[in-house]
Formats: sequence, C-alpha cells, structure tokens
Amino acid sequence: MSQEAVLQLLRDQVEHLVDDIFVRNKKRIYIDTPPESTLEVNRILFAELGGRLATASGIDTRDRIEVLYHYCLDPDGQVVTVRTWGWKPEPEIDSVAQIFPGAQFVEREMFDLLGIKFRNHPDPRRLILADDWPEGEYPLQRDFPKRRSESEYVERIEKMVRTES
Amino acid sequence: MKRTVVPVGPFHPIQEEPEFFQLTVEGERVVDADVRLSYNHRGIEKLCQDLTYDQIPFLLARICGICSASHPMAFCQALEDLCGVEVPMRGRYLRSIICELERIHSHLLWVGLAGHFIGYNTVFMWAWKYREPVLDLCEKFTGNRNHYENFKVGGCRRDLPQEAIPETRELVNSLVEPVTMLTNAVLDDPVLHWRLKGIGVLSEKDAKQWCVTGPTARGSGVKIDVRADEPYAAYDLVDWDVKCVSEGDVFAKAVVRLLETLESIEIIKKCLDQIEPGAIETEVREMPKGEGIGHAEAPRGETFHYVRSDGTNYPIRYKVRAPTYMNLPSFKSSMIGAELADAMLIVAAMDPCYSCTERVAVVEKRRGKKNVLTQDELLARCVSKTEKIMSELGRKPLELPYE
Repeated sequence: MSQEAVLQLLRDQVEHLVDDIFVRNKKRIYIDTPPESTLEVNRILFAELGGRLATASGIDTRDRIEVLYHYCLDPDGQVVTVRTWGWKPEPEIDSVAQIFPGAQFVEREMFDLLGIKFRNHPDPRRLILADDWPEGEYPLQRDFPKRRSESEYVERIEKMVRTES
Repeated sequence: MKRTVVPVGPFHPIQEEPEFFQLTVEGERVVDADVRLSYNHRGIEKLCQDLTYDQIPFLLARICGICSASHPMAFCQALEDLCGVEVPMRGRYLRSIICELERIHSHLLWVGLAGHFIGYNTVFMWAWKYREPVLDLCEKFTGNRNHYENFKVGGCRRDLPQEAIPETRELVNSLVEPVTMLTNAVLDDPVLHWRLKGIGVLSEKDAKQWCVTGPTARGSGVKIDVRADEPYAAYDLVDWDVKCVSEGDVFAKAVVRLLETLESIEIIKKCLDQIEPGAIETEVREMPKGEGIGHAEAPRGETFHYVRSDGTNYPIRYKVRAPTYMNLPSFKSSMIGAELADAMLIVAAMDPCYSCTERVAVVEKRRGKKNVLTQDELLARCVSKTEKIMSELGRKPLELPYE
C-alpha cells in the first residue's frame, strides 16, 4: 500500500476519534490522540490495520507527559505514531497492554521512569528500577534528581540501617 | 502435582544482558514463566540527553558489543529522518557492508554457543574459528574488530580504499565454503532434528501478539525484516531474499540464522561489485527542531530509536529499544509446556545473553529447602538429554572434518 492509501484508511477508521493526522515525510505518519480515545485508536491500529507495536516513548514536556506508541506497518514500510498524553503531576492513561501482551514491558518501563499510571494494566509491577527504589521518584522526569536537604539524607540512611538490622 | 519455583539468574555482570527467569515447574514440565530484567541498567537514554549529536553514536555503539553497528545505524536513520538528508551512494554501500559483516559474526557466534549448549563442542570450535576472519574484515573496513564507530549523521566516517576491494572480495569469498559446510553439517544431523524440533514453539499468532522481531519472528512464519520493508543503506540496490520458515521451534530459528548468514555473504559480494568511488558523507551543519524515528535490522531483530530535538546540539529525549526487549517476553508463550532440560535451550534460541544462566537456585517451596545448581550442572542436564537421544539413535556426536 502506498502512503496515500494508508492515510486514507486511517482517515476512514480513526479520524472521528483523534485531533489530527499528519505526515512528516514519506514514511512517517503521526496521529495526535486525546487520552480518552487512545485505547480505541491503538486497538484499531493493532487489530484491524495489522500494525506491530515497535515500542512506546514517553517524554516529559513540563506540564504533561507525552506517550508515543510507534506502530510499524511492515508490508507498507510505514511507521505510524499515536501521540497521547497524561497531565502532571499524576499522569494516567488507559493501558494498551490489555489489548495485546506485547505492550506490557514498555508500559511497565514508562511507569518506572516517568511515573505514568496505566489503568487496567494486567501486570503493573516494576520493571527497570530496583525494588528498594524510593516511591514517587522518576529518573526521566525533568526535575530529577530532586534536591534534598542534609537532614533528609541522614533520615534515609538511618532508615536503611534500621531495616537492615 | 507439586509445583516448584526455579529461579534462573539473576545476573553475571561481565556480559551485557543480565536477565532473571523464574520458572514454575511441575516435575520436569514448565507450567509458568516470568522474566525480570534491568539488573544492570546503565541509563543510556538519560546520558544521551547530555551528549552532542556527534558524540551519541560512540555511546550507542557500546550498548551492545555485538550489535555495535545496528544501534548507531538506527540513530543515524532517526537523525536523517529528522533533518531530511540523503546519504551518498558510496556511504550507503559501506553501511550495508558493515551491517552485514556484523550479522555474519553475530550469527556464527550464536551457532557456536548453541552447539556448546547441547554438547556439540566441535560446532562451537568451528563456528568461532570461521568468525575470526569476519572480525579481521571488520578491522580492515573500520579499524576495529568490534565497536566500529563508522557511522555518523549523513554518512560514514572512514572510507575503504578502492584498491583494497579485490583483497576484501577474496576474503569474503573464502567464507562461503566453511559456512556452507557448517550449515549442511548442522541441518543434516538427525540428532539435532530430534533434539531441536518441536521445542519452544512460538506460533505465528503468538509472535504477532508479543510483537517479536528478527529471526524469532521469521522462525515463526512472520515475514518481517526492516531491510526489506523499509530499505535503508544499500538494501534496495542489491537483490536478496528474506529467509523465513514457519515451524516456530528452536530448529527453525537455527535454520533462519544459518541461511541468513549465507545471504549476508551474498549481499556483501554484490555490494563490493557495485560500489563506486565517490563521497561517503553529506555534511550536516544544523539540527532542526522536531522529531525523528529510525529503525534498523540488527542480527537479533529490529532496533528502534526515537529522537526529539529542540534545535540545539543536544536531544531533549532519546529513546532506544533493543530487539531482545521485544523478543524476551514471548517466553511466556514458548516456554510453557517445555521440559526443564530444554528451558536453557529455548532461552538460547532467541539469542539473548547466556550470562544470566550462570547460577541457578532450585527452591522447594513446601520444605523451604534451597539447593543451588551451578551453570555446569544445568549445562550437564541439557547435554545429557542430547546424549540420551544419540544413544537411542545409535549415533556418535557430530563429526566435522579436521584439517
């Protein structure tokens, strides 16, 4: 399928759900999707257009956290990116992993590193960070590492010593 | 039947992919599997945000010692996608040649290790012996046996002198015979058929559900290959085939890798025939604001990179996804129902790192007794199954002709 045909198909199927569909160059299509219809758009791309989820990227853009699901339409050589977002300080969107298991790892990773909560994720455990990593600290957010006062450090070290002994 | 949890791992810090498998077994059957990773998280994505676009490929080459061409390749594609530059012809051919050399040495390394795993140490010795000249070729092209550092945005850093091409062609031709011999020896061996067929089957449907890539997908009948689907470098300038089989078991993955090795040699030969003198890079002076996506076919599958730029020298976000990250979770499908003696083999068939299997603790939940198995003991389990099959078939281990 040519890019025009893919674009036409996307317009037919998802245009009523999304804010914008646009083309960056002859191999890349982007879809700006509001958080409430993310799940449906992802379902259409995976199940009906036969897209393969390559990965998802999360980006902290100060007031919100953007999530980009990248789908490869392999026979057509196109990469379709679904862009959605969650508002800070407690970003939350619907989990795509409830449609297919291939999205589980990457959503767990985004929760670890950026603090996005995925609603209805089948297996919401930590993936990247260690089990003793403090709650509420997300290394890929812009304000990381947070400045701490000396007394906070002393308190944390004392707590660690207490739990070990 | 009583269920036992077998933790495999977590890691061996000197190799690159420490992973932790937790297998729930009933007797010898695996009934559930869980994978944990990131025991050696290095923060590459965060580090990239503090490096200039010229420095990043050097860091990305060090993500993996084996895919040290694919990650910079995907990076260059993402940046070229962002700023819309075209790479000159000679640069494209050089890129293809290096990527294919990488694929050959990676696949040979895998064949060797897989042989070692099932107790075929001759295969191990021979595969690694034939890998040596490939590494020498890499050195000839880039100055390094590994960590090639040859890709930059817009082209390549180092050129191959035109007069060195006949000599290079001779070296590549000399690879054909031993690799063909190795391929036939492995594919014709009845013990290997018994040992590897029907084990760790990943069906086509599951492969799509788990979004797997590379030889893992092509072994399950999903015919995807970035080199063919979205041709980069010189892959649309030469004729070649995507190798794909549909069985989905360990043997199918071995077949795909061996056939691909031969195909890679053909691609290099054709590239060397067609390459002509000329510029190797287009100069890129400024990075525009925007975002770019690049993907390339690494030996283990697709590497996928995403970059967002704000027009300065540094990216504001750089996302890297390595192929094993997508292939690994598919264990949940392929491992269940397998025997414990095959578990290591199914892990190996996907070509992640072996390091993780260095130490195994068998925990019997009810009695709270802990029993630690070393890698040697686990390996011995795997080898003894091969030996059992051999004695049933009345065969000796695979014998390759010695020089």
